[in-house]
Amino acid sequence: MSNSYERTVKAIMYVVLMVFALMALYPLFFVLITSLKSSAEYVNNKLFMPQSITFSNYFHVWVKGNMLRYFLNSCLLIPSALVLYLFVCITAGFAFGRLRFRFRFPLFLAVLFLMIFPQMLLSIQIFQVCRKLHLVNNYLGLILVWVAYFGPFGTYIMTTYYATVPMEIVESARLDGTGVYRMLYYIMVPIAKPMIVIIIIIGTQSMWNELPFSLLLLQTEHLRTITQGLGMLQGQYGLDDTVLSASILSASLVPLLLFVFFQRQITMGAYSGSVKG
Amino acid sequence: MEPYLLIAPLLLLLLVFILYPVVANIYLSFFKWKGMGKATFIGLDNYRTMFADETFWISIKNTLVLLLYIPLGVILPILISALLREGLKGWSLFRAIIYLPNILGYVIMGMISSIMFRKLGPINNVLIHLGLDAFALDWLSKPDLALNTLGLVYGVWLRLGFGCIFFLAAMSSIDESLYDAAKIDGALWWRTFWNVTIPSIRFSIEFWIVLSFIEILARAFPFIYTFSRGGPGFATFTLEYGIYNAGFVAFNMGYASTWASVLFVVCAIIAVFQVALMRKNSDVQ
Repeated sequence: MSNSYERTVKAIMYVVLMVFALMALYPLFFVLITSLKSSAEYVNNKLFMPQSITFSNYFHVWVKGNMLRYFLNSCLLIPSALVLYLFVCITAGFAFGRLRFRFRFPLFLAVLFLMIFPQMLLSIQIFQVCRKLHLVNNYLGLILVWVAYFGPFGTYIMTTYYATVPMEIVESARLDGTGVYRMLYYIMVPIAKPMIVIIIIIGTQSMWNELPFSLLLLQTEHLRTITQGLGMLQGQYGLDDTVLSASILSASLVPLLLFVFFQRQITMGAYSGSVKG
Repeated sequence: MEPYLLIAPLLLLLLVFILYPVVANIYLSFFKWKGMGKATFIGLDNYRTMFADETFWISIKNTLVLLLYIPLGVILPILISALLREGLKGWSLFRAIIYLPNILGYVIMGMISSIMFRKLGPINNVLIHLGLDAFALDWLSKPDLALNTLGLVYGVWLRLGFGCIFFLAAMSSIDESLYDAAKIDGALWWRTFWNVTIPSIRFSIEFWIVLSFIEILARAFPFIYTFSRGGPGFATFTLEYGIYNAGFVAFNMGYASTWASVLFVVCAIIAVFQVALMRKNSDVQ
């Protein structure tokens, strides 16, 4: 194989990759510059940098559009949900991965089986259940539904992780007379820290971007989450794309921060629990 | 006793919010019910109505068209990953960049895409600037085109980044000596790709195909809701959207459950495949 042949191949590869990178970055860049234009400027200038920068779209969205409220709602709701999410995923993941008990495997398979069903399929009955339990327009309701819906995947990741922990650790702790709960708290949680960070990120991202259940269960205006507030703007007539762009970027803030600060964990999380070659 | 207490929180939540809804759905599909008051048993009437409902068949057709984008959504990330595997400089940065749409999620990407594909939006603007006026189409207003735009954006482009990370991870575990052997034999890139890479990541490819089915059949609602609202007309209307319309627009809960039961059967079949693959993958025995 000649050198020039390899060089040509590499050059083509770089070009292809640049195109894909551009396709991933451009939408966000476009929304950013659009959100800084006045709607009058946007009509004539769709593609280029704004001639004069305006923050009025953000003012419109955050103050008049109530996005600030929705943003704070999400910031309150999601950490609370994460506490329960972690508790559920870690306890179940540890039990399925490292303890031995009857029906363990069939129950684990049932958990995997239940995680596929689409939100809309469940929504009719979830609404009825929540109405009977007085959980509509109540954050507790949404938290329980979220953890039920997103918990199985987190549990799966924790289970595959705990299954790789040497059995001797469990047995030696047992011989020392350490109870299961103490072992979980003092040994199993600390050693699983990297995995716990990954499921925190996966959980935050799933809940932050969740729409159907929020639409269903948070019907009072002031309770809405930011993603719900954003989704409800779609199809509203007379709303400028510049204002929409400012709303989109506001809702993207937290996912973008995750993206910037947890790059490595996100990459790991994307294939943890899914690939083994 | 302790193991059961440890899994109890998860199982209890699943029982109340997933298993019960799935079962109750099927039960309710034999009733006429408006969401309040008494439900009346009507046997198979809902099913008869549904099979005579044109929008039901449209939703099936739309779903099938979207499924046709799966091959492209599988091949493209495999090809890119195979290129990246060979240690291009800057690939981890690149990998991060193409993953960006996945982090932003379906609602945000649906909103952005709907702005970008407007008739007077930036994509057509670029095309016109490049002198490609003939390609500056009305992406979201013509029914057939809207469905295919959805297929390309949702089925292929949006998951490209995730796909690359997924396949790169799979390829990183291939034994490097296989590639060295191929090199000594003088095999061309394409042959090595076909004879070494593809067979070694077979399992991951199967997994990815199942995931693609799930994304299209069971996860597309938030994206379609923000991208095209199921329209124009019923152009991007799917089974999930049918449940939404019958249940939460027309408040015909019994009928919505009938659509949901069809979706349940489809998803249950896919779930069996997924569980089988996950079982193979995890070390949990």
